[in-house]
Amino acid sequence: MKALSIAFKDLQIFLKDRGSLLLLFLLPLLFVVVFTGALGEVGKGEPDTRILLPVVDLDGGTAARTLIQGLESAGGVRVEGYKQSEALALLDENKISRVLTIPAGFSGDIDEERPVTLRLINHPDADPEQTEAVRLVVEGVARDMSLEIQILAALQQMGQMQASAPEEYREAFSVERMQAQARSQFERAQAQPLVAVTQRVPGQELEQEEVLGLGDVAVSGITVLFVFLTAQTMARSIYDEKKVGSFRRLLAAPMSKAALLAGKMIPNLIMGLVQTGVIFAFGIVGLKLMGLPSAKLGPAPLAVVLVVVLIALCSSALGILIAAIARTENQIGGLSSVLLWVMGLLGGSFVPLFLMERFLGPVPKIVPHYWANHALVNLMVRGLGLADVALDCVVLLGFTAIFFVVGLWRFDFE
Amino acid sequence: MSAILEVDSLVKKYGDYEAVRGVSFSVEEGEVFGLLGPNGAGKTTIISMVTGVLESTAGTARIGGYDIQKELGEVKKINGLVPQDLALYPTLSARANLNFFGRIYGLRGKALKERVDDVLQIVALTERADGVVDEFSGGMKRRVNIAAGLVHQPRLLFLDEPTVGVDPQSRNHIFESVLRLNRERGMSIIYTSHYMEEVELLCNRVAIIDQGEIIALDTIKNLIAMLGGGVIHVGVPQADDELVQQIATLPAVKEATIVPKPVAPPLAEGEEPEAKEGERVVAGEVVKIVAQHSQQAIVNVLGFLNDRDINLTSLEILEPNLESVFLHLTGKKLRE
Repeated sequence: MKALSIAFKDLQIFLKDRGSLLLLFLLPLLFVVVFTGALGEVGKGEPDTRILLPVVDLDGGTAARTLIQGLESAGGVRVEGYKQSEALALLDENKISRVLTIPAGFSGDIDEERPVTLRLINHPDADPEQTEAVRLVVEGVARDMSLEIQILAALQQMGQMQASAPEEYREAFSVERMQAQARSQFERAQAQPLVAVTQRVPGQELEQEEVLGLGDVAVSGITVLFVFLTAQTMARSIYDEKKVGSFRRLLAAPMSKAALLAGKMIPNLIMGLVQTGVIFAFGIVGLKLMGLPSAKLGPAPLAVVLVVVLIALCSSALGILIAAIARTENQIGGLSSVLLWVMGLLGGSFVPLFLMERFLGPVPKIVPHYWANHALVNLMVRGLGLADVALDCVVLLGFTAIFFVVGLWRFDFE
Repeated sequence: MSAILEVDSLVKKYGDYEAVRGVSFSVEEGEVFGLLGPNGAGKTTIISMVTGVLESTAGTARIGGYDIQKELGEVKKINGLVPQDLALYPTLSARANLNFFGRIYGLRGKALKERVDDVLQIVALTERADGVVDEFSGGMKRRVNIAAGLVHQPRLLFLDEPTVGVDPQSRNHIFESVLRLNRERGMSIIYTSHYMEEVELLCNRVAIIDQGEIIALDTIKNLIAMLGGGVIHVGVPQADDELVQQIATLPAVKEATIVPKPVAPPLAEGEEPEAKEGERVVAGEVVKIVAQHSQQAIVNVLGFLNDRDINLTSLEILEPNLESVFLHLTGKKLRE
């Protein structure tokens, strides 16, 4: 109850501070508009509309490479190589919509003209139109490959027969006979293709392109940035308490130090949640009204709420840490500005995570903003569920614990 | 009367620096007890340790029978602290501030409202209860600061320099409040100040603190009695032990000593010694005389010096009060 009293008092003070209200509520909306509208296409480049076709090549031979080249040059699909276990795991998680498997011994069977079968496995939720498009492309390339191999083989065989036949039988290899043989092989290739394609789940889905622009991640990115910025507000609130001497008065009151710090954290938590509500509401409704691409909560809104609570909690713990490290008002301002904005930049609040990782490798993972953005993008943009962001949640909790413990350790109550 | 506060050998160290050096004293229930000392003497540090704001390096204290080391939670319920700083939230109203401080002591609802109204009346701010503290005068802020320490009805109130920077009218309000709290409600009060007039007016007993130590503790009457009829500083060109002993034997003189000269920093070549503000540059020696009767002692000392053709270079007569007691004990003025 005493912690709640402190929280209530801090909220009273905060609501009278117009500068902070402006910083924490209006500024993020401005950022969202700028990032969604003016900079929405930044990071996307030329949109690649081809359908992703993950391929597992268990053969690795010449014919397999020829097949993959054929798929690439056919247009309409973008081939990416995967290991079998990796591809099946991603397919189970619905992170990819289909997998084409080239069986082991494919090239050898082709050389021996033994029929081989390519397996195209589709996720049950895959888009039927996209799946049909992929099937047509794969079957077309397989058919062309069968035809080419079978006709070439037939012609080669006839050439060899002609070369080894006695003079009196050479007439048997007339142009007409050769054309008839080629036609026969063509019809056979059509009816009994050397390379067949089977589908485990017929029909369905287009794999979404993973290329996200700033507009796609603006709402989640700005939310993460500004919720973490409340850490500075909290650190300043603690500093102000110390500066005016009310902190001494609180220490003299019958309440534990933990309750005191909890009382300072609760308003930050509430502010973070309200702030997120405002940004999300603006992202979903406001942007739409402005004719800009609007945000969506995704299919797991409760998971979004959970992640937001974890982000606000992590930000509060970071506030304790900043208050423990910085001893003067200038130090709080300087440290917070550098720390929180750099962390935001590094953690994908301004630039989509895949771009940050492309240039910096795993470095962005050292900041909590990365995990916060990763979780929100997966939930809100990619439409994934709670299970898919479990790791992000655990890591955010880990950051929270570290910030709080180190902050408590370094905190100068005197 | 039983002791509300018993301080036993309290020590506070910051690294090698010892801010409080084994302080012991006790305060009776219903007493107004003064801690008198210059800035930096250790008064606030003692209060901070006793109220649980600071951890002591050694020693302990008991308040209302509870040990601050073992039963701090109970101790905090008995204490009320009015810090030297204006420990208030300036953007909130006086009432909002008092409501908050009442809540953190567990007051709620009707009881809270009654207590807040009561303390507003005590500090004479009922009419301005809903005004924003930031818009109050310095004296009014001080009064809200005191009210915040009273809202939970403490048995023992610590007032740490409560009149710093206030106008005479507010200072009088504060004095009246302190006396009424003590007389009408029986509240025990520990009052720290470096203004000896305040301590003389309000306190029954006084501990004089200097450099983290209690150098005297008694009733004001007894402390002043240490100086007899007063203290006289007599400047002479030269003085030795023999001269001082002869002065000490004069009628109406209680004791005589040579005042040690302060250690001055070395002067650069050609530089003249300069007096700081309020400080005399003394050539020769100063003999401090504690008199049984100051006027008679002055006549006798001046006659003695005249008989021996010793020129008088300065003469200062100190009235017998706490300021001169402090000067007598430490060789320093309270506000140095």
